Amino acid sequence: MNRRTSIKSILGLSFIGASSFSVYKWINCHHTIDPDSFLSRKELIAELAETIIPSTDTPGAKEAKVENYIINILLNCTASVEQNLFLNGLTELESYTERQFQRTFFNCSVNDRNKILEYFEQRGVYKYTLFNKVSNRLLGKSFFSQLKSLTIDGYCLSQLGATRGLAYDYIPGNYAACISLTPNQKSWATK
Amino acid sequence: MHISDKSSEKNTYDAIVIGSGISGGWAAMELCKKGLKTLLLERGRDVEHIKDYPTANLNPWDFKNGFNNTIKDKQIDPVQSNVYNPENKHFYVSDKEHPYIQDKPFNWFRGYQVGGRSLTWGRQCYRWSDLDFEANKNDGIGVDWPIRYKDLEYWYDYVESFIGVSGKSEKLAQLPDGVFLPPMELNCVEKHLADSLRKDKEGHVLTIARVANLTRGWDNRGPCQNRNLCTRGCPFGGYFSSNSSTIPAARATGNLTLRPFSVAAEILYDDLQKKAVGVKVIDANSNEILEYYAKIIFVNASTIASTALLLNSKSERFPNGLGNDSGQLGHNLMDHHSSAGAYGTFEGYKDQYYKGRRPCGFLIPRFRNLKNDKGLDFKRGYNIQGDGEREGWEDIQGESGFGKDFKEKLTAPGKWTIWMAGWGECLPYYENKISLDEYEKDKWGLPLIRINFSFKENEYKMMKDIEETSAKMLRNAGFVDVGSFNYHKPGGTTIHEMGTARMGRDPNTSVLNGFNQVHAVKNVFLTDGSCMTSSACQNPSLTYMALTARACNYAVDQLNKGEL
Repeated sequence: MNRRTSIKSILGLSFIGASSFSVYKWINCHHTIDPDSFLSRKELIAELAETIIPSTDTPGAKEAKVENYIINILLNCTASVEQNLFLNGLTELESYTERQFQRTFFNCSVNDRNKILEYFEQRGVYKYTLFNKVSNRLLGKSFFSQLKSLTIDGYCLSQLGATRGLAYDYIPGNYAACISLTPNQKSWATK
Repeated sequence: MHISDKSSEKNTYDAIVIGSGISGGWAAMELCKKGLKTLLLERGRDVEHIKDYPTANLNPWDFKNGFNNTIKDKQIDPVQSNVYNPENKHFYVSDKEHPYIQDKPFNWFRGYQVGGRSLTWGRQCYRWSDLDFEANKNDGIGVDWPIRYKDLEYWYDYVESFIGVSGKSEKLAQLPDGVFLPPMELNCVEKHLADSLRKDKEGHVLTIARVANLTRGWDNRGPCQNRNLCTRGCPFGGYFSSNSSTIPAARATGNLTLRPFSVAAEILYDDLQKKAVGVKVIDANSNEILEYYAKIIFVNASTIASTALLLNSKSERFPNGLGNDSGQLGHNLMDHHSSAGAYGTFEGYKDQYYKGRRPCGFLIPRFRNLKNDKGLDFKRGYNIQGDGEREGWEDIQGESGFGKDFKEKLTAPGKWTIWMAGWGECLPYYENKISLDEYEKDKWGLPLIRINFSFKENEYKMMKDIEETSAKMLRNAGFVDVGSFNYHKPGGTTIHEMGTARMGRDPNTSVLNGFNQVHAVKNVFLTDGSCMTSSACQNPSLTYMALTARACNYAVDQLNKGEL
């Protein structure tokens, strides 16, 4: 196990050398996280989630309280590397917002919020697919891709998301193998 | 001689069954129904049907962390956490509490509780045929099976009639039809692939999976509600498990004594009587050592654990483990490989969908080496299992974007897709084995099990053919974005461990005879996966059950004749 870890870190470091990441940043990602650093940003996380899955004719992420799920997963099910990436991402997003729009994310319009997330979506992606793969594996999933997938999971597994955003069939009873789609058919919440 | 104290009387039964999983449950039921006072030993806790299925009725939002394991889970259970999730974690062991040694990576997934892995099994039920029973003989590999399909046919009927198997008859020599409840149904994209395969010059069959999920009420259970939450335990009794079926039936006879938290440490052999007299048990909680006695002993602790128990049962007569005259005990470990396959998407049927969560997929029965195919560089064959569905939010979430349009896409039915993989035969190799470690012990003082297993050239060549052939099937059927894969999962991943105490005709080269009886210890029977002489490519549980029922019938017959 130790041998594999050290090989991974050697590969990691040499890759980092070839990319724009600094060694400092990589080391910085291995800090232990204080749960409060997420809990104290619950409202911001809720707004970010809502930007990803907004309220439309069906409930959005905020109404479904997706932020609780996101924080649970970050605290209980996420490796410290990715916890740090997420936390650093939040901080960067706050300062980027301040710099570009001279206000907090809460005070930004929907349009500006979309622009901010577009910036972070682009930033988390490298031009070369290989870089993305290696980056995900060695450095963990980027802030934006974590935020997005946690929001989606949290929404689709939530009661509002599953029952109103999607179609939830608690006890189907039978299996109808081929039926016609109904207008505005939602996909099934569970497989 | 172990029967010495007064307490021995109350510790004496007609039969002892070790392990309450899919085959142990059957052994207990059959022996009880034949009037034998039977002690069923289970090393784990009791799990009562319905009452002990704590997650069975939960909604997705009732799980705090969704279906994700925690970082702590992964640390404590580095193996089991690959297969469990919060829905069914309580039906798997903790690796920390139940360690084993991997000489090479091997996933040993275990469920130590009443019902064992019958609670979480895949429920696929496929008969073997003489293509499988004759394979070793024809290829000159391993030893010949001491039985043929005709020996097992009645018992397949017998087991299927009891457990309830839904499926469709296809009249294939390599995959005999069974006693079936109405089949589940293929959806449009699966029917499309089936049509394409049938029209192809090779004429392969695609049929709905044959599963122990009830399509109508059966034995006061079911029917299946199409929730596809089977591994949580079914509150409707929609699928067969020891808990829902054989153990209650055994209990109803009044002949069953079930003892949970009973770790079988050793089978007690008596040199004078030249037979086993009982089982030494460690109470898992109190560490108290107990001895139980019986005329016959069925070992159904699961492939690796059953053999480990025999290896640990040493006597003057059997210094290398009970019944190990051949030196084969522990050897010839097999597991199916199921890492290779293909997927693709289909552009049509955009206005079609389905309702309900069918708890199974489809099967393309084996088509390779039905006779010795020319141009193939591997022996034996595989079947292909897969399923068709429309992409859901889980599949779409990787696409770029966010916001209103993304949400719309995320929550609408996506493209039709098919994912399928080959379940392939693994040859019996002497060097794939389990053994007991000389030094390291578990918390009950029993030696740790070492597993040394790897797939070899024949399996890898087969995987390559699976990739190519399954991708070709999809392309020929008009699928697009077809990709093939090989996940390269280690042995054990398919959870079809077989072998290590193989059946055979010759006591010099096998451990068990044609009735699953230890050659040299006639009152000990092994009827779980350990007995398997070859692995075929069919999911094996149905065959374990049929072998068990047959062996029980034989054992009681022999007992009544005074032969045991």
